[in-house]
Amino acid sequence: MLSRDIGIIGYGAAAYDKKPRQTIFGYLGEAARAALASAGIRKDEVNGIAVDATNLAPDTAVTTAEYFGLSVSWAYRSTAAGAGPLISVANAVRAVAAGDADYVLCVGGGAQDVAAFKKRIAQFTSAIADYLVPHGYGGPPGLFAIIQRKHMGLYGTTREQLGRIAVDLRANARLNDAALLRGPMTLDDYLNAPLIAEPLRLYDCVMPCSGAEAVIVGPLDRVPRGKGVRVLSARERHNHPVGEIAPVRGGWELFRDALFEEAGYSHRDMNFVQLYDDFPIMAAIQLEDLGFCKKGEVGAFLDQHRLTHDGSFPLNTGGGQLSCGQAGGSAGLIGLAEATRQLRGEGARRQVKNAQRGVVSGFGMISYGHGLSSSALILEKA
Amino acid sequence: MASPAYPQPNATSINAQLLDGWRRGELMLQHCGECKAVIFFPRELCPRCWSTNLAWKRSSGRGRIVSFARVYKHVTAPFADEAPTILAEIELADGGAMMARVATGEPASIASGMQVELVPMPEAARYPLPTFRPVAAKT
Repeated sequence: MLSRDIGIIGYGAAAYDKKPRQTIFGYLGEAARAALASAGIRKDEVNGIAVDATNLAPDTAVTTAEYFGLSVSWAYRSTAAGAGPLISVANAVRAVAAGDADYVLCVGGGAQDVAAFKKRIAQFTSAIADYLVPHGYGGPPGLFAIIQRKHMGLYGTTREQLGRIAVDLRANARLNDAALLRGPMTLDDYLNAPLIAEPLRLYDCVMPCSGAEAVIVGPLDRVPRGKGVRVLSARERHNHPVGEIAPVRGGWELFRDALFEEAGYSHRDMNFVQLYDDFPIMAAIQLEDLGFCKKGEVGAFLDQHRLTHDGSFPLNTGGGQLSCGQAGGSAGLIGLAEATRQLRGEGARRQVKNAQRGVVSGFGMISYGHGLSSSALILEKA
Repeated sequence: MASPAYPQPNATSINAQLLDGWRRGELMLQHCGECKAVIFFPRELCPRCWSTNLAWKRSSGRGRIVSFARVYKHVTAPFADEAPTILAEIELADGGAMMARVATGEPASIASGMQVELVPMPEAARYPLPTFRPVAAKT
């Protein structure tokens, strides 16, 4: 059980770029400054740090503290790629509740051009480098194409149905000046985009970019009522299902009942959902595994709903990674930052009406045959 | 046959049998002596029961495509010249499963459920890891 008195008290982002304009620390620092201003606390009050950054090696959470001139009593770096930042935030709540730190900066980001991205995904894990890259795996789209084809074959899911995710998220992004991809997108645009790894086409695939996101975890009574976000429950799962290639589930199904039970709310009580949308098929699988529909029925679910901020099922209300871009380690935080924005009533043109509660999920650590890590939080306005 | 400059797996103390076997055009797989699991990728211990009693055995290399990607956009040059290539999940007839390339001059003809076999020597030498091809329809 997480403390109900500790939570997220500020959030912020660095401006995203298609080509990096500064180092990884520049992006992390820009996001950290924005989050600090949002929380209304002083830099000297931060004494905990959690870092989820791409291309950070050989640096660490501790050398990030060095760069930022922070003396900290708690430092954490996750091991779960896109599922990691939500776990970092849950662990930061636990650390503050235990007295290990007072205010924790949780920051994620990446600074990568296309060449750096290609190099990174060819060495993402030793299993990928040794047993997939020599076959020409095509990067993550090659893996997710296998998963999507399997889902389509098993359950009759169509590209038209999955396209609802890309198209509606783009509509959300058109109300978000921070999104890198804001041009209009129709279902025909989605269906006829250039082939990447069939059945995946261009708008199925997240765009690598540079940027950062940050949140501050601390005592909720430090900020005015309505400006804090309580983490009602948090769960993680890694390497599930064990040894399976291209599974059409990812681990959320193992903990979703406990996640909602601990939060004390049902699916119907959620005002929005922010999923890890590196590919529409993975967002669709998260909808199933988190229990918003039954396994195999996400196609019909997508037929029935509009996913825009003012639709019947508001999803990735800032446009998600699919329209904002995937800035490495910021991808696992962008949904949490957007959820915090919505719960604080700061969504401006894309504000979900009366947003009180929502779900955020993470996914990542792609290795031999699938992403190994899943995570999720249920949040409430405090 | 000149071999394109494909990326090569790192040779390690544990994958020598796999890589040496493929140089002969054979698919060698680890079998657990305790729980009988067929293991891929190679490991020092069985991921199911943690036994270190593992033996290498030759696979028939016959299998079935469970699902696949037709990859048009590559991150490494030699594959881009050959695109679209096929990356498939393959279930082996005599146990085990892996992801591997299916070599074909007709990528549009590949389908889930299709039977595959190992690319034979001397073409096999072209590929860095055990690679499959569709089983030719009987005439």
